Amino acid sequence: MISERVKSNLKQTFAESLLPKLGLVLLVSIVFMALFAPVLATHDPTRTGHYDEQGAPYPPLGHEYTAEIVQDGEIVEVPVEPTSEHILGTNNVGQDVYSRFLYGARISLLVGFLGTGIALLIGVPIGLIAGYYGGRVDDGLMRIADTMLAFPALVLALALLGVFGQSSIHVPDPLVIAGLADGMPESVPVPGTVIIVVALVTWVWFARVARGEALAIRNEEYVKAAKSFGTKDRTILRKHVLPNSLTPIIVLATIQVAAIILLEASLAYLGFSGTTLSWGYEIERGQGILRSRSWVSMVPGIGIVLTVISVNLLGDWLRDALDPNIEGEGR
Amino acid sequence: MTMGKFLVRRILQGIFVIWGVITVMFGLRAVSPGDPATLMLGEGATQELIERVREQEGLNEPIYIQYFEYLQGMVVGDFGYSWRSNREVEAMVIERVPATIELAVAATIVAIVIAIPLGVISATRRNEPADYGATLFSLLGISTPNFWLGLMLILVLGVWAGLFPTGRRPVGFGQAMMTLVQYGSVYDLLVWLQYITLPALTLGTYFTALITRLTRSGMVDELGKEYVMASRAKGLPAVLVRYKHVLRNTMIPIITVLGLQLGTLLGGAVITETVFNWPGLGLRLVDALGARDWPLMQGIIVFIAIAFVTINIVVDALYNYLNPQVREG
Amino acid sequence: MTEDILRVTNLSTRFFTQEGQVNAVSSLDLRIERGEIFGIVGESGSGKSVTARSIMDLIESPGEITSGTIEYRNADFAAAVADDYPDAVDGEFVDLLAVPERVRQSLRGTSFSMIFQDPESSFNPTLTVGEQLAEAVEVQRRASAQPRSTSARTNEYSFKNYLLSTVLSSQRYVSDESRERAIELLELVGIPDPVERADQYPHEYSGGMLQRAMIAQALAGEPDVLVADEPTTALDVTIQAQILDLLDELQAETEMTVLLITHNLGVIARMCDRVGVMYAGEIVEHGTLEDVFDNHVHPYTDGLLGSVPNLDGVAERLQPIHGNVPSLLDHEMEDRCYFADRCPKAMEDCLEHPQEFDASGSEVHKVQCVLAETEYDESRAVPDDYFADPAQDTTDKRADRDGDEPDGPPQRAESPIDSAGGDRQ
Repeated sequence: MISERVKSNLKQTFAESLLPKLGLVLLVSIVFMALFAPVLATHDPTRTGHYDEQGAPYPPLGHEYTAEIVQDGEIVEVPVEPTSEHILGTNNVGQDVYSRFLYGARISLLVGFLGTGIALLIGVPIGLIAGYYGGRVDDGLMRIADTMLAFPALVLALALLGVFGQSSIHVPDPLVIAGLADGMPESVPVPGTVIIVVALVTWVWFARVARGEALAIRNEEYVKAAKSFGTKDRTILRKHVLPNSLTPIIVLATIQVAAIILLEASLAYLGFSGTTLSWGYEIERGQGILRSRSWVSMVPGIGIVLTVISVNLLGDWLRDALDPNIEGEGR
Repeated sequence: MTMGKFLVRRILQGIFVIWGVITVMFGLRAVSPGDPATLMLGEGATQELIERVREQEGLNEPIYIQYFEYLQGMVVGDFGYSWRSNREVEAMVIERVPATIELAVAATIVAIVIAIPLGVISATRRNEPADYGATLFSLLGISTPNFWLGLMLILVLGVWAGLFPTGRRPVGFGQAMMTLVQYGSVYDLLVWLQYITLPALTLGTYFTALITRLTRSGMVDELGKEYVMASRAKGLPAVLVRYKHVLRNTMIPIITVLGLQLGTLLGGAVITETVFNWPGLGLRLVDALGARDWPLMQGIIVFIAIAFVTINIVVDALYNYLNPQVREG
Repeated sequence: MTEDILRVTNLSTRFFTQEGQVNAVSSLDLRIERGEIFGIVGESGSGKSVTARSIMDLIESPGEITSGTIEYRNADFAAAVADDYPDAVDGEFVDLLAVPERVRQSLRGTSFSMIFQDPESSFNPTLTVGEQLAEAVEVQRRASAQPRSTSARTNEYSFKNYLLSTVLSSQRYVSDESRERAIELLELVGIPDPVERADQYPHEYSGGMLQRAMIAQALAGEPDVLVADEPTTALDVTIQAQILDLLDELQAETEMTVLLITHNLGVIARMCDRVGVMYAGEIVEHGTLEDVFDNHVHPYTDGLLGSVPNLDGVAERLQPIHGNVPSLLDHEMEDRCYFADRCPKAMEDCLEHPQEFDASGSEVHKVQCVLAETEYDESRAVPDDYFADPAQDTTDKRADRDGDEPDGPPQRAESPIDSAGGDRQ
């Protein structure tokens, strides 16, 4: 339950410190970028072949490099100039880096928030029930939790993706349908299996925290009183236990959004992504050409760092203001 | 509860967890698409050959028999044969363990050597420039994906500055030590050190950042406790108050958090090894995943789980030893 | 008349918090004689603990001593620092606020030491009690090795030494002699089986035992002045009496000076030679025990005594002081007698800050109240609703938190130990 005191505490810590403000501004800008990617983008992010007349990818503005190209059967070095058409240059298959940067934000945020949401929906009810009833149910949950934690999250996710495959659902992009962004892809790939897998490897953190809270709350007088009136367990769980365990769950959720964004990037880097639009995938693509065309990896990496920092800054703010005691900071 | 009882209970729990991991892995393999025999033999094998392999591997048995036999194999340390290379999984795991341990230990050393002083400085000079610097560093550290950090380190320190080699390492720690012992030459050791620096920094940064944060916040809490003032009041030198009392008490709970974070370290090792082409378990796991080489994959993951559980038991025992409030009898 | 050992003049300690500046101690004057037990009594949030901590130099950010002098008489010490800090030395007195922090630090444990309210949180839970006592002994041992050299007293134990000590056991801070002495100290304060007890951790002790251990720790350095901040508040009533007996006994034995901080008038009555009554960061009345208990002038002292049950006579009605503990926030404090808003005898004169007057008792009896000079005159009384200010209700909580006063509420004075007040001669 978010009391008045907590609200004023949140406001006060927000007003006093620069960092949460910075986090909020960053996150709002990234969300804005992601939402309006089709409008802000200059090119279709999936269209290849944006090369200069010699057939070399463009560098970002203000940057020049020497490309090796095949000319008359010989490899020759030619200087490549940037163009204002592609402000962040193009990648090795000639896709616009800036446009891909914008679309990459969509994938990161989609996976981060949807994955956390699903993990919440799985973990919180299980944790609350285990903590509230205790006994065998609780023992069972704790052993499952221990088992889950014995897998590194990344390793388990890889194994699960190996089983489930990597498919994505193509959701029509309303901005393109409405005719606001011509020439952009008509649908957004939502990496469904990745989202489900990251939720499956992180729900256990929510279950642990929810369990701990329910364990404490079930001994509170108001719960005992409600029981003595014959209130149903389900009602008690919904009306008393859940609202009173929200604070640490909210803080954990923020931490997990950041952790899941990083996890998604790692999976995509290893080639387990539902879409080539993912930042992590793009970084992997730039790895082989790091020496000559470093911007291909650098730009999406900066995107990930800024997104995760913004979420972490807000998470720190919530943690300081709400002051719960949770240990989960899995990645 | 005595230490002995505690250990027995924890070890039983650990065995249960490892059994769980084995079972999960078996289950995943059972539901995964693709016929194992086809995977083993590759496309284009004759139906007759496939049938023979199925028979030989017991793939035609009912699933519970397969599970039982699989479990039996695990108990006696028989992890099966790799589908791809047809080598024993145990050998393929063991030969890759040293490189991963080298990397994990180096990363842990990096983390501890940097993080604890940084956390102490941050906590004792709160709201001074040093604190802001440490806070910024740790924020960046926990927010940077380590594969990207690894690439940037390769780019900046390896390619641009030319300080570190970026290829696959020519020599492991064991071999470097052999050179030292046999020929009295530290050359190989230096080469090894040169090659491990960037991977260790890459893997260690997240932990450095995490431990810095934990040390800072733990120490700030601890410094506010009354016994700190009481220690100062009795005239104890500030250094002793800070380290013998406050830092020690701060580290006790951090140790358990680190035990839990070990999974993250091993997961990070998978990524770091891929970036640096580091010949460890993680790289082999990624290869096995790509090739859908289930026995190898299972072997590596079960091995990681055993390592994780064992280290956590050690950490719990250490915690109990260090914290007299839970240590009894 | 015996000589003064401590002279505090015009001491102000402030806390700079988000809510504003908190004047925890304002222009406080205090004089403590060698070998006496001086008591400071007052409600929660009156600045008692902050006064004690100011003297011990234990004020931490956001708190700060903003003005005043704390002069400590010690001929050896004065001689030792005279060369380096001539301005701080006045005869045998040294102004502690005029020497660097590291010199002040060197006095802790050896010249001043302190007993805290809650023994359970005042020991490090992860080290044995014996080890913690031995540390206190070691401080004294090292200081007394070369008593006259300032460098021996003021040199900090370095980080290098600490690192060495973690590797080489011969370099450890605490010596075996100190450990043995720690056991003797435990025995001295009446802890049975001191040898075994020394190896136990704080959570294995009872509250009373731990308070004995803390007294032992405070005595380890054979201090000149012992500051006892609510030494019995956290204890059971039966244990309280034992601890007070022990303190009394040890004080008589070692002839040390004791500054006793408490909200409990019974403890004051039983232990102290002289008493200061503290209110809103000031000592409003001070004098001998008789002056304050029998001939008090200040209506606040009167109210404080009125809130103690008197078991001698037939049920006298308990009279709590009405109103709240005053706000110590600078911007809410007006320039008046801070008690005027709660005072039943507030007059127009009280709207100016009163000076210190001689009071009717002994020659050391002083009071900060106009009633020392003038009779109460109802026609000049301040109207009842003069101080009606809705903001007042919320201020006590803040003042308490920021003023760093972990005292119990004033009602605690009702505990049976207060009947000890009847024992005084």
